Amino acid sequence: MPLIKVVMAKMGFDAHYRGAMMVARHLVQRGMEVVYIGNRLPEEIVRTVIDEDAQVLGLSSLSGNHMVMVPRILALLRQEGVERVKVLLGGVIPTEDQKALLSQGVSAVFGTGSSLDAIADWIEAAVGRGPGAVQV
Amino acid sequence: MPTDANDTLGEGLGALQRTNSGIPVKAVYTADDIPDFDPARDLGAPGAPPYTRGVHRDMYRGRLWTIRQLAGFGTPEETNGRFRLLLDQGATGINCVFDFVTNRGFSSDHPLAEGDVGQGGVAIDCLSDMRRLFDGIPVEDVSVSLVLSNPVGAGVIFAAYLAMARERGIPWEKLRGTLQNDFLMETVVLTAPNILEPAFSLRLSVDVVEFCTQHLPQWNPISFAGYNYREAGADAVQEAALVIAHALAVADEMVRRGHPIDSFAPRLSSFFTADNDLFEEVAKYRAARRVYHRLFEERFHPSDPRSSRLRFHVQTSGSALTAQQPLNNVTRAAYHALAAVLGGAQSLHVSAYDEALCLPSEAAALTALRTQQVLVHETGVTRTVDPLAGSYYVEHLTAEMERRILAYLSQVDELGGLVRAVDSGWVHRELMGTSYDREIAITSGERKVVGVNCFTDDVPLEIELFRFPSALEQQKATLAQLRAERDEARTQAALDRLREAVEGDGNSMPYLIDAVQAGASVGECCDVFRDLHGGWQQPLL
Repeated sequence: MPLIKVVMAKMGFDAHYRGAMMVARHLVQRGMEVVYIGNRLPEEIVRTVIDEDAQVLGLSSLSGNHMVMVPRILALLRQEGVERVKVLLGGVIPTEDQKALLSQGVSAVFGTGSSLDAIADWIEAAVGRGPGAVQV
Repeated sequence: MPTDANDTLGEGLGALQRTNSGIPVKAVYTADDIPDFDPARDLGAPGAPPYTRGVHRDMYRGRLWTIRQLAGFGTPEETNGRFRLLLDQGATGINCVFDFVTNRGFSSDHPLAEGDVGQGGVAIDCLSDMRRLFDGIPVEDVSVSLVLSNPVGAGVIFAAYLAMARERGIPWEKLRGTLQNDFLMETVVLTAPNILEPAFSLRLSVDVVEFCTQHLPQWNPISFAGYNYREAGADAVQEAALVIAHALAVADEMVRRGHPIDSFAPRLSSFFTADNDLFEEVAKYRAARRVYHRLFEERFHPSDPRSSRLRFHVQTSGSALTAQQPLNNVTRAAYHALAAVLGGAQSLHVSAYDEALCLPSEAAALTALRTQQVLVHETGVTRTVDPLAGSYYVEHLTAEMERRILAYLSQVDELGGLVRAVDSGWVHRELMGTSYDREIAITSGERKVVGVNCFTDDVPLEIELFRFPSALEQQKATLAQLRAERDEARTQAALDRLREAVEGDGNSMPYLIDAVQAGASVGECCDVFRDLHGGWQQPLL
């Protein structure tokens, strides 16, 4: 069975990468393939998701740029016809922003303090290859 | 060392316990645990070598730590307003944080910058922004910390600060303050598009040290940012060791450039976190001062006692604060601040309780300031110097911390020094490894975090989040005006001279000051550096 493939990116100039690296490392431990591309523009991020044929896009934001960058990425995913890709957002995301972004197409938000296992479990369930998988 | 005994003692005199950096801890300490302890040699007097007890003879009785709360968001005008609020309310120094775009030396109108302008810090694009940022702030009287983390942007924004002071008729010799200017911030701790090569980043940071040595005798030109090493994953031992390794690397380079150790070493400064493990943190500060003194003495033989003195600012941990049950963070930050003061910090920022959620609201920023004022005026901790000295446990921990810091420094030396250790990705792997282990310990519940993996609740969040308008449009307008009004030929000539200096082995600082005065933007100056030495791939995964 092919591995679950996850593209992870930082948006804009956000400089905090520890959380993204911790998640990346843990997903690899859990048997997934992770492609980390660093700080990129929305266009570059979506292009990588398509080129890598990833099922999951992990975005990390702790600088406050999420309300500018995430909607743009969601729009590009729709425009390219790959809105089936699960978009996970992590970092410092105020509750009302979480609600707004979830309604716009983000699949799940994992804020600071989220358990690494919870993130991996969620992906396995959502993408359909883990125990108790949800068919999508 | 009675480590076997340690292993048999612990919880209820049963299981082994360890500090957060992994040092075994027994239930009871006695004189037997510090058999080699020699107060004259290991402690000395406060304000005297080896500075274990602190860098001042009378410590906080003589001079209270500087109450220096971080501020910076949005436009220069908005941040100027927060400076005034904090100074009005009793802060004794300024601590200005810049957005990531500014910190990396890019212009606010860069395509990647759109969501980040004025987020997490103030946006500064040119000299006129600097004028507005410090409008009405008496920079000749107040100590000003400019948290310019990365050498790529630190020099040019400092150049704008110096140009602003000159315009106001303030002699540079009178300016007091600190730059962070730390090449590990640029290459290890933080990430960004287009990163400078580590060796070149270090070179730029030393340019500032060299320039300040000649022109700003009261300025701290660099602050080794252990706080941020810790936020990026380090434990207390790694934090202290990397600070000291970095200080040694800068001193090596200054000596190589022909500067006597005593001409610059007294102004090297450091920056530590204060995290959860109270006694370990206190031991960290005490041990770091002792090791720093010893190594500067051994390697550089200074005559001025101040050259081997480790002075530091403390910021209470951001990553130890939680989004869940955020008011608990007031309590956490107060314990962190207590550790910093028991450890002899020279200045202090207490992190705000909404740190894990947003930039500090006015209420959160004031509570953090009040936490310091309660510590100063109500707890009595300032009455006597180094109050934990002689404690069996604290002296044992201090000695153990010293031993581990020295061992870590030997590893860095074996790798060929700090720049090579960074280049090879060793430092990144070290920090990521420690950090991952900690995350696993939290995920598994082995390490308790109140409100996160124990004592959780579903009470909805009831704090007001701080929101402010985007600074992007104003910064774009400022840049447009700058480009319209400047003498283009003069700007380009100044940028060309900067490029020539960097291609040779000239100090970049005088050319940066000329360039900002000639109307160059922050981004244009730093593009010169990136053109010549950018594109380094950070070895993260």
